[in-house]
Amino acid sequence: MNVAEKPVITADSLIGQRIQKKDAPEKAAGKTRYIQDMIVPGMLHAKILRSSRVHARIRSIDTSAAKALPGVHVVLTAADVPDQQPIGVARDHLPLKGERVRSLRDEIAAVAADSEEIAEAALKLIRVEYEDLPVIATPEDAVKADAPLIHPAPLDADGKPKTVPPKTPIAFAGKADNIAMRFDYTHGDVAAAEAESDVVVEDTFQLHYVTHCCMGVSGVIAEFDASGNLLMYSNTQVPFLHKREFAEYLNIDPSRVRIIQPPIGGGFGSKLDIYPFEVICIFLARAAKRPVKMVFTRKEEFLASPTRQPVLLTLRSGCRKDGTLTFRQVHTLHDNGAYTSWGATTPFVMMQTFSSLYRVPACDYHTTVAYTNNPYAGSFRGYGNLQATFAIEQHMDMLAERIGMDPLDFRLKNAQEAGEVTGQGMTFKSCGFRECLTTAAERSDYRKKHADNLAHRDAPGPVKRGIGIASMLHVGGGAKIYPSDGCGTILKLDDFANVTLITGASEIGQGSETVLSQLVCEELGLPISAVTVVNNDTAITPWDVGVHASRTTFIAGNSAIGAARKAKAKILAAAAKKHGCDEATLDLRGGFVVVAETGEPVVELARLMRNLHFSDKAELVMTTFYYEPPSVHQDKAFKGDVSAAYAWAAQVVEVEVDTDTGIVKMTKVTGTHDVGRVLNRLGLEGQIEGGVVMGQGYALTENLIVENGVTRNPNFRDYKLVTAPEIPEMDITFVESMDGEGPQGAKGVGEAPAICIAAAAANAIYNATGVRIFALPFTPEAVYRALRGKAEKPHWEAWQPE
Amino acid sequence: MTGLERYAAPQSLDEALGILQQGEVTILAGGTDLMPQTKAGRIAFKPTLMNIGRVAGLKGVTLDGGHLRIAALTTISELLRDPLVAQHAPVLAEACDHFASDQIRNAGTLGGNINNASPAGDTLVPLIVLDAEVELASKPNGSVSTRRMPLAEFFTGPGRTKRAGNELLTAVRIPLPKPGHVARFYKFGTRPALDISTISIGIAGIKRDGALTDTRVAFGAVAPTPVRAPRTEAALEGRRLDSDAIEAAAGAARDEVNPIDDVRASAWYRKELIHNMTKRMLDHVAQA
Repeated sequence: MNVAEKPVITADSLIGQRIQKKDAPEKAAGKTRYIQDMIVPGMLHAKILRSSRVHARIRSIDTSAAKALPGVHVVLTAADVPDQQPIGVARDHLPLKGERVRSLRDEIAAVAADSEEIAEAALKLIRVEYEDLPVIATPEDAVKADAPLIHPAPLDADGKPKTVPPKTPIAFAGKADNIAMRFDYTHGDVAAAEAESDVVVEDTFQLHYVTHCCMGVSGVIAEFDASGNLLMYSNTQVPFLHKREFAEYLNIDPSRVRIIQPPIGGGFGSKLDIYPFEVICIFLARAAKRPVKMVFTRKEEFLASPTRQPVLLTLRSGCRKDGTLTFRQVHTLHDNGAYTSWGATTPFVMMQTFSSLYRVPACDYHTTVAYTNNPYAGSFRGYGNLQATFAIEQHMDMLAERIGMDPLDFRLKNAQEAGEVTGQGMTFKSCGFRECLTTAAERSDYRKKHADNLAHRDAPGPVKRGIGIASMLHVGGGAKIYPSDGCGTILKLDDFANVTLITGASEIGQGSETVLSQLVCEELGLPISAVTVVNNDTAITPWDVGVHASRTTFIAGNSAIGAARKAKAKILAAAAKKHGCDEATLDLRGGFVVVAETGEPVVELARLMRNLHFSDKAELVMTTFYYEPPSVHQDKAFKGDVSAAYAWAAQVVEVEVDTDTGIVKMTKVTGTHDVGRVLNRLGLEGQIEGGVVMGQGYALTENLIVENGVTRNPNFRDYKLVTAPEIPEMDITFVESMDGEGPQGAKGVGEAPAICIAAAAANAIYNATGVRIFALPFTPEAVYRALRGKAEKPHWEAWQPE
Repeated sequence: MTGLERYAAPQSLDEALGILQQGEVTILAGGTDLMPQTKAGRIAFKPTLMNIGRVAGLKGVTLDGGHLRIAALTTISELLRDPLVAQHAPVLAEACDHFASDQIRNAGTLGGNINNASPAGDTLVPLIVLDAEVELASKPNGSVSTRRMPLAEFFTGPGRTKRAGNELLTAVRIPLPKPGHVARFYKFGTRPALDISTISIGIAGIKRDGALTDTRVAFGAVAPTPVRAPRTEAALEGRRLDSDAIEAAAGAARDEVNPIDDVRASAWYRKELIHNMTKRMLDHVAQA
């Protein structure tokens, strides 16, 4: 256990207050300048020609008419960039496709022109001849023995597979099967545990495509200076990783790549990888010798930005009559799409949920990620955890029902506690799981409503009420995926005791600027208005791994506190020396150096700063700090304590199901989150409300319909985001477990609120109607079919390789 | 990059009809359908774009003898707030309350919704069950002439109507309701608004002694045009609204419609909705 004592909050403390986001006035007034608003002198506008076939060989590309169009500066195809390198975690993806297209989003050519309209017109003049290939529309088909290959090995002149040196990327060497990745994890003896089980349930669950729908669509501006240095204005969530990767693609030193992030209109994980459009924009800028801007249309964002990982998942779970969980066995089949991005790696998170959300003595987990001709999946808030939780938390209710136990008691019996080391090696230092469960259940009156709804299931009238509970575990102290999971801070105090906080942490709307300012002000006894945050320029800010994994408050927060404490020590030492007292007796409060015990002012901080600066030994207060969390990488068997802290939550969802239409109305969400400690109450509530609505969309309305590789609804008319009147009443409360490693005791929460809504909704629909639905989303027609016994239950024979 | 050559903004009906008479005109009213559809390539601009927004006399709701007359440029927002509509055709206001979003309602016009001739057009089904007729004006040989046609006969296909190229839809006329008149509208969408209807249902008639006469039933989004449902009407006409009659009518409704599968719903589900919601609406009418 590593739990900090909760200090008594003093009246002037900023911790736990409701503090308006620093960027709120600009955004509310419409004054924020996003990349869409940016104009760089001399810039050209770029557009991409995408494939009109799902799977085809490219016979020829004719760009002559496009090149001849007045106002067109550059037209590029794969043939024009023979040096292009594959992108993505599996190195299976060339930005411009020259020989073969594998999905409708595939980039064939790109144009840079004087205006977007001209670029668009030029695209229409490009002639592409295709030779269609068989389409693999499902991962089930992809893993069949005789399935056509998505990435076949290239052939030499004799039609034989080319011999390539070892370690040649898939993009050049091909792949002999359609398996993009495999994950196999196990702890305990599953067979023995199954033999000890009184009850075993097995079901297949089907999770669908959704996409991020950031209000700020993807965009980038690339320009080279006269010395060949690359400057990018980019919406990326991982500027420092990009800096290195772009340098690799261009074969230049990383020091020659600078990335500036304009305010980002939402990320949610969609901007975590390198995408073809970014590399293509760089190629265009290089060829045009002009800055080039490329911004997606909304339709393009639907077609060519990543999706959440669709999953087919078979779960087998067991327990004893007394309610003790015995084992879990999981086989999942992931639709990778045509290329590999982070979606393929979501099993890293999914297996944590299966192995460790509850105490389970034996767990066996297998994932096969299969190439198809569908859009490819990336990372998305929750990173596989929504999918895993959807299955587990339905099975928790089903097992409880089979042994005649209350679903809440069943969860409490198996809930993790502080001090637990799980089969996967996760160590729960602070853990408010039980309190999350009991608080959410009490506040929603879960037990009584659950029983009442059961009693009224067969009462007359088409509308049935239901209540369901679900819980979640997620990383809350970063995630050690890369060699470092750290973040650097540079902190500068000026002559007026104003602070410039230079942090590696990126702001994507989540409120990091505000929370980091709060943490610094808490150390230095300054008002939040005293802080200016600089966080968007790789030439200025220290390294950070990126904004993902709910890590920024925890990692960047600890880094900011570290820098602030160094500054405070320096200030107090200087004050003690000047005023002839012991620095241990001094503190910083309200803009003054004060006597800690009495609060009596010693010197105004601004005055002290000037005294330091304008003295014969002139000095400025500037500090740096790099925070690396005490977490470890998973070993080859996927075991290890990957996060410095873990976040917990329980959410209770209430629904009304209209059995004449299948419409499920979410009426109330009661959520209790173990956040370690509340830092900015307003920001926290906002983030949780937003996450709940994202979870609601995943559960009820959002569905990117992909049929035979074709996205049928690339627009907000038919891709249904939740609108304001549909948002349920919410009761959000917090458990403060005071994490010993967390900044002021806090843990990450960014991803948590979206994770269990769909699972809780499924349990609520069952409570209302007695019908369990195993496939998402719960659209009216899907629910109506299930209620009429006309929904096909997902089925999948777990596929095992030889 | 469009075929547009000329923009016209006539001030009078006479002037507008004169321009129409010359042919090859695209009419712009609120623009909420025209703009996205031309942008998406579903409609091509003709050489003349005529904005009728400044034509005098094409706005507002009035009483015209035994009719409620709604001029073509009256916006959906205006219909929602109009006291005459609230008094004589509340079911139309109800449909307007499910219509798109506030921004679109502020710009979109009733005439535009009718001429767009979408099978899912939100105002069409209630107007049909209210026996609305359209008023079409033209100037074929130097003087303005007007003809009227029942709205139920106006539509010929998705986006297609019987309006001739030289005609302008100037108004909709609805007979004032007789005593005992009831009318109901239901739109199925997954949201309270901002949704294209999966199906919609309009039911109207004179309710006396627990039975409906002069029964009108119409459905939206189940055929290439909004349609009257004669067999459902026949199943109801003059019969006491008991559970047998209601079930018979709902069954007739389900059998009578012939919807398609699309990205929003399957044909099967549309037929189920038609059955279930016709039944629910008739239950409400019976209990009212």
